[in-house]
Amino acid sequence: MKLGKNRMKRMIFMALAILLAGPVFLLASDAVAVPLELKLASATINISTFYNGTTLEVHGLVPVDADVVLQVSGPREEVHLKEKGKVAGFLWMNKNDVVLENTPAVYMLYTPAGSQAKLIGPELGIGYKALVKDIAISPESADKDFIFAEYVKLMEESGVYAINEASVAYGATTADGREFSATLTIPSKMTAGEYHVTAMSVQDGVVVGQVQEKLDLQLSGLPATISALAYGRPLLFGFMAVFIAVSAGLIIGVIFRGGGGAH
Amino acid sequence: MLYMYLPIAGNSVNVFLILGLGGFVGLLSGIFGVGGGFLMTPLLMMFGIPPTVAAASDSNQIVGASTSGTLAHMRLGNVDVPMGIMLLIGGVAGGTVGVQVIKLLRAMGNADFLIAITYVIMLGGVGGYMFWESLQGLRKDKGVPAADSVPVASKPSGKKTLLQRLPLQYKFEKSGCEISMLLPLVIGVLVGVLAAIMGVGGGFIMVPVMVYLLRMPMHVVVGTSLFQILFTCVNVTIMQSYSNHTVDFVLAVLLLLGSTIGAQVGTAVSKRLKADQLKIMLASLVLLVCVKMMSGLLMAPAIMVALKGGH
Repeated sequence: MKLGKNRMKRMIFMALAILLAGPVFLLASDAVAVPLELKLASATINISTFYNGTTLEVHGLVPVDADVVLQVSGPREEVHLKEKGKVAGFLWMNKNDVVLENTPAVYMLYTPAGSQAKLIGPELGIGYKALVKDIAISPESADKDFIFAEYVKLMEESGVYAINEASVAYGATTADGREFSATLTIPSKMTAGEYHVTAMSVQDGVVVGQVQEKLDLQLSGLPATISALAYGRPLLFGFMAVFIAVSAGLIIGVIFRGGGGAH
Repeated sequence: MLYMYLPIAGNSVNVFLILGLGGFVGLLSGIFGVGGGFLMTPLLMMFGIPPTVAAASDSNQIVGASTSGTLAHMRLGNVDVPMGIMLLIGGVAGGTVGVQVIKLLRAMGNADFLIAITYVIMLGGVGGYMFWESLQGLRKDKGVPAADSVPVASKPSGKKTLLQRLPLQYKFEKSGCEISMLLPLVIGVLVGVLAAIMGVGGGFIMVPVMVYLLRMPMHVVVGTSLFQILFTCVNVTIMQSYSNHTVDFVLAVLLLLGSTIGAQVGTAVSKRLKADQLKIMLASLVLLVCVKMMSGLLMAPAIMVALKGGH
């Protein structure tokens, strides 16, 4: 009986809290409802036979007194790594297995000139130091910050992680806000899949607005056909690969025999 | 610059670079009778191809290059088919055993260390011995007295008595020897085990083994090795496509175009070189790879993590 009374009290309290919180929330969202727009030149990128990465033009509007940060991020995945260490005191080798969970496959930031320090940081949820917070490591005894920092170096080498300073340009200021534009790099190492381009407006050290657009990378033409065959009919694919290799070897062999007959 | 996208590797490559790489490795294959996997896989990894895709696509490429090379060597009468078949059967059996050994070692946790040490010792030992031996041969040719070469030459006679007692004696005509069929079979198994542990085709181990243990003439060694490699790599290509989806067809075709031509040129070059010159060149190559591996083991890496499956 006592228990039921308490439960009732709690429910009334919660209902009141929700009723009160509603208008406060609306007021708050009114305050941050600043204009922020993002447009991609194309929402789809086709990976065809001669594809070698590409660029993507984006533009939009940001509140006059705010700065914009653009982020390109990819699907979160589990990354299996080998940590290097010394064996027998002097040989550098791949030693321990480490797994990073919830790690984005792609993470690229674009910031306007001269403002990187106030636009990137864990308190804003932007940048590598913010990223590492969402990532879990196993075994838990491993040094997460160090391993992730090394992983970032590895990814920066292949171009899928990057922090591009002075890569967003501001244009004219209108009554609606300040125009911005940037050319995003799409490296060839970015595989087919669904990604997101996000524009964040930052004012006085706080992210005050955010818009997101989907970016789709898809295989087309020859790469699409080969990929479908390799994954869909792997045995046939294997025999085909051998057949073509043997044929090429024989054809070249015959061509050379013809040439070699002269001497 | 012309680039092509590799759908399985998930990256794009410069077409001319890969053609050139294929040509270079094909050339080595034609000259020395090695598949070149021990050179090609690390080179492809340097150009951003994932290690598993690099190794599997390279096997596919070797099928083309060794077809072309075997054909050329067959015309010159350099392929001992029965010998090749015995080595092949042994190699396949040894490879299967080797894969199980690796599984066991991985479970015990020290596989990578053992693989690296095996690599360095094998490369260093094989390369060093071949280099020293062929240097003696070259000196002798030039009339410089080489006293050390006498015991080397007398070695086989001691072995022969023991080996002649083995059953299933067979005259391998092209190789110019009459030995038990069990011998190439057992050697095939041993090389197969080593090759599986090291993750390579094993041509660079098989060639010295044929030269020094089976005492086959160098030119027949090259042809027979290519013949044997052809069938090994057909098997690997199909198995890798089927179970791991790691054969990148576009990459393999690009490498092929270069390597089939390279293999023909290599065979022509090989014809003009003396056996000792061939041996010393292969020995230098093997030693070079050994030194590169050693330096990789001794120097602190710039990045302290690697994607699993890499070196």
